[in-house]
Amino acid sequence: MQATDRTRLRTQAVRRVSIVTTASSDTPTKKILMMGGTRFIGVYLARLLVKAGHEVTLFTRGKTPVTQKIASETDQEYAEYSSKVKHIQGDRQDFDGMKSKIASAGFEIVYDINGREAVEVEPIIDAIPSLKQYIYCSSAGVYLKSDLLPHFEVDATDPKSRHKGKLDTEALLQSKGVPWTSIRPVYIYGPLNYNPVEEWFFHRLKAGRPIPIPNSGLQITQLGHVKDLADAFVRVLDNPTAFGQVYNISGAKYVTFAGIARACAKAGGFPTPELVHYNPKDFDFGKKKSFPLRDQHFFTSIEKAKNDLGWSPKYGLVDGLTDSYNLDFGLGTFRKAADFSTDDMILEKLGIKVAVPA
Amino acid sequence: MALSLQFPVSTPRQASLEISKLTPGCLASSFSLRSPSTSSLHSLGTSSGIATAVKKSSRRWRAAKTVAMAAAANEVSNRKVLIVNTNSGGHAVIGFWLAKDLVAAGHEVTVMTVGEESSDKMKKPPFSRFSELRDLGVSTVWGDPKDVGAAVGGKSFHAVLDNNGKDLDAVKPVVDWAKSQGVEQFLFISSAGIYKTSDEPPHVEGDPVKVDAGHVGVEDYISKSAFKFWSSFRPQYMTGSGNNKDCEEWFFDRIVRDKPVPIPSPGIQVTNIAHVSDLSSMITLAIGKPSASNATIFNAVSDHAVTFDGLVRLCARAAAKEAKIVHYDAKALGIDARKAFPFRNMHFYAEPRAAKEKLGWTSSTNLSEALKERYEEYIKIGRDKKDIKFEIDDTILSKVG
Repeated sequence: MQATDRTRLRTQAVRRVSIVTTASSDTPTKKILMMGGTRFIGVYLARLLVKAGHEVTLFTRGKTPVTQKIASETDQEYAEYSSKVKHIQGDRQDFDGMKSKIASAGFEIVYDINGREAVEVEPIIDAIPSLKQYIYCSSAGVYLKSDLLPHFEVDATDPKSRHKGKLDTEALLQSKGVPWTSIRPVYIYGPLNYNPVEEWFFHRLKAGRPIPIPNSGLQITQLGHVKDLADAFVRVLDNPTAFGQVYNISGAKYVTFAGIARACAKAGGFPTPELVHYNPKDFDFGKKKSFPLRDQHFFTSIEKAKNDLGWSPKYGLVDGLTDSYNLDFGLGTFRKAADFSTDDMILEKLGIKVAVPA
Repeated sequence: MALSLQFPVSTPRQASLEISKLTPGCLASSFSLRSPSTSSLHSLGTSSGIATAVKKSSRRWRAAKTVAMAAAANEVSNRKVLIVNTNSGGHAVIGFWLAKDLVAAGHEVTVMTVGEESSDKMKKPPFSRFSELRDLGVSTVWGDPKDVGAAVGGKSFHAVLDNNGKDLDAVKPVVDWAKSQGVEQFLFISSAGIYKTSDEPPHVEGDPVKVDAGHVGVEDYISKSAFKFWSSFRPQYMTGSGNNKDCEEWFFDRIVRDKPVPIPSPGIQVTNIAHVSDLSSMITLAIGKPSASNATIFNAVSDHAVTFDGLVRLCARAAAKEAKIVHYDAKALGIDARKAFPFRNMHFYAEPRAAKEKLGWTSSTNLSEALKERYEEYIKIGRDKKDIKFEIDDTILSKVG
């Protein structure tokens, strides 16, 4: 066989493989409406979708700038993204107003990143006759607490949970007849996280303070990197396997509370932290949270997403926390200022003095 | 011929996944199930309502699924398999269930138990029930791992499973004999206890192990012995009829006598209790799919973790009784937790990811159901009436106050 023939065949083979790997690159361009998209998950997801060639419109109140350059992108990448992504300004709680703004754009896909209650979702579906898929960001918080873990998608959900609205929304989606997919993340982390998960630990590590851990620190939970989550959201796009399905999306491994503290220390290049264990029942913290995570085992199996979507998390815990540190906290940025008031209550009661660095 | 399989599934999606794994002609026309108290699956006929059929008895469900799984997409059939089985301890029951599953999957089985048939150890389960194996056509022999050939009388085998040794001293003779006999596939029951402790559960295949552990040396030796196929299985704890070592019985002993259940603090430590049929179905699949299972380590466990406190609750529910949990700090009270409690006092949780990914295996352990069955058996043999001394419990409870 001639060398040129061999090269041609190899190139064709490579092209065939690359077409097969990502759903979005062999799907025709979609008109996508994203509810949210300016704070955390949507920041990464919208970029992936625009890069894949889709027409993306963010629906937000406009309180946060529609686009902002993020630490991990070049000026050119940001220019490309910000010139392509569209925006509709509005309040999703104003159902009639919202409907009139989104009705005639011919949207085919909705990514609902910030929906909380079913009543917020129904008007969107009703307003868009061309809707081909509703993709919803739910929460693993809907699972009923269990002695047997991890939570699988088929497990019982808790109608009394704080995330009841997410459950109601999933039920609504099921009832409306439009193809839908629901994603249930556990704890999300990564640069720009507005929920003080890793940030809470980084503040204490930076201050050289001991880290107060409720009870034994053996509680097992699961952190998932926001970029892995965004990848999963892309893979369900226009994917018939995902129609009518819920997926747990989080990290490949679980982690203990004590383990998170140690992983954050590794990520930021801090020495192994001193952990201080306390019984939350011995304190009255008022409205303040003394620890960012719920005091129980809380983790899910992600095997359904792996099997159905060919997705798997790219970030291990320490790698992912390092990414978050390098692109956010380590650059001096964070969402919530350090508040050690509950820490001080705990340390005082336990008779532990904090050595304040000079 | 169009073939659809009647067996219980829990969801329509699961049903379609199971069906898609079957190919016409790969299924034998009749199977008989192991336990006399379950119905036999004489022929695989057509089924309507697959999506709606749901198991009533977990035994029937497990058996049917085992059979279906063993038959689905096998690479080989009618293998001659030798199980070298320990004569005591938690792993003894594996060989008993595995022999039955292998027969159901169409293989020819010999079980060589270490030691002598006349030994007192043979009066305990599962050995006391070996007539059940012989009724199925399993050959049961006794012998010394240092001279397997003498015990099996010159028989040849495609596959040999060592379910006996914990170190190279015990297993090397078996490995070397198998190699000399041209055995194609060597399988080993190792232990999930060899994983190094970690902040990030679960233990998954490939995670670092304690290099000095005996089982590690064995796995290493097997992998380098140039068998055509080899696999290693790392179990945790098992429950199931015929078990040789107490597992859930420790909990029943206390619950049925209305005694408090002392649990090492904080009680949220997680462990993995599999029904032994999860292991036997996994190994059967590995024997039926030697290429798929080759050069692979498998965590031989269920796919759920249970906490210590949770296990007490499940056992109490199985016994239809209330249980009182008393937490104690073993270290502070100077209690040796290894003597006081049947499981490792720490998170000890592995997941069976390799089996799912490489063999298409699924777990069928339903711990609630399994414990109910075990409780029925516990009562049936009159163990609730047995006079048991709770010396360590009493020490703990007096110290806790």
